[in-house]
Amino acid sequence: MKPASFRYFRPDTLDEALALMAEHAGDAKALAGGQSLVPAMNFRIAQPAILIDLNRVSALASVGRADDGGLRIGGMTRHRTLEHSTLVGDAAPLITAAMPFVAHPPIRARGTIGGSLAHADPAAELPAVVLALGASVVLRRRTGTRTVPASGFFLGLYATALEPDELVTEIVVPPRAPRSGWAIDEVARRHGDYALAGVVAEIALDEAGAVSAARIALFSVHDRPVLAHKAAEALVGARPDEEAIRAAASAAAGHDADPSADIHASAAYRRHLVGVLTRRVVTRAVERARGAAVESRP
Amino acid sequence: MKVQGAFTFRGPRALVWDLLQDPAVLAKAMPGTKRLERTAPDRFEGVMKVSLGPVTAAEFALAVTLRDQLAPERFAMDIDSKGALGFTRGTARVVLEEAENGETTMRYESELQIGGKIAAVGQRILDSAARMMTQKGLDALERELDARLAGGGAG
Repeated sequence: MKPASFRYFRPDTLDEALALMAEHAGDAKALAGGQSLVPAMNFRIAQPAILIDLNRVSALASVGRADDGGLRIGGMTRHRTLEHSTLVGDAAPLITAAMPFVAHPPIRARGTIGGSLAHADPAAELPAVVLALGASVVLRRRTGTRTVPASGFFLGLYATALEPDELVTEIVVPPRAPRSGWAIDEVARRHGDYALAGVVAEIALDEAGAVSAARIALFSVHDRPVLAHKAAEALVGARPDEEAIRAAASAAAGHDADPSADIHASAAYRRHLVGVLTRRVVTRAVERARGAAVESRP
Repeated sequence: MKVQGAFTFRGPRALVWDLLQDPAVLAKAMPGTKRLERTAPDRFEGVMKVSLGPVTAAEFALAVTLRDQLAPERFAMDIDSKGALGFTRGTARVVLEEAENGETTMRYESELQIGGKIAAVGQRILDSAARMMTQKGLDALERELDARLAGGGAG
């Protein structure tokens, strides 16, 4: 299969890329890792008139420690780079833990975090991960830069806050809270397939061992990745014992998830999975947070 | 695929009925409709251009035939659309009931067959896509009704 014909630009700098995006807004697609866009073009379900290839824009492919101890990840950073980065493993271990779930190694060698967020597939892991991390997405156009919290970036089915002339240039991850833990899990028919349902959590404990903050994100059970607000409410302020975690899991399944049915799974089954996965993931995150509390004790 | 649900309009049934029989209004209510014309008393034909995520500008020729009309209570539609990416065929039934406070409840139920490339590649998101388009359509109908009730909208 071959794509329909298109015009191709390969800028070397971010300024050139942004100028091209401005000039061709609406007709152009930015090409990042191409792991979703190129198959869609080969099937001819996507027929952009113009492609602007970002793979030479080296300024977008960097990972660095932010001044506050968090991370600044360039939009063109490959999944594989994130997966093997010790800096990421230290500052945002949830990203490291999520990577083995993201498709397969050959796809991770090409795919980028900015591409994944911009594509906004409801079943993708990284959009849910940035939600759970409380990260922000930096969007640039020729005339300016804005920073959108992940919770305001995903607007619907494949829909984001990204305007046609903007690029995802950076993902800003806040520093980890003390006494915090994380976990991710999903159920897929085969490893690497789109998940039937998935859950990501970041849980922080206070000095007494009660939950001080909880961000639980669900994927593949809504038209976009969503934060499970009801589940978080059930946890914050409570001691995260089995009963509290079960209450959070049932809130996630009953209130926060709004799954669709397809040939792979019914909506009811997906809802059931959300409950099971939330219980599993929150339990693991709490264990890790307790471990971190032990480690950080003087 | 089944699409069904209920929606309450803040307006009288006769007015809601008129909205649903007006091709200009239906064109607004179906996301991506570029043209919709009445080609016979009970038939509309037009063109839809659907853009959704990676699917850019998939054009479909659309034909809707109304039948079993019982104004202002119920009608059914046969829907037939075809394009390079696939087809949609099916029937939809709409029932309008008078609710409290002069409101009107619309119940809709459709059974659609979707085939071709769009079904093969997009199966995973058809349901979400249908829900999203339905919601956009209902929002558009509601806006139009509000405009008519305010005395301004002419469709």
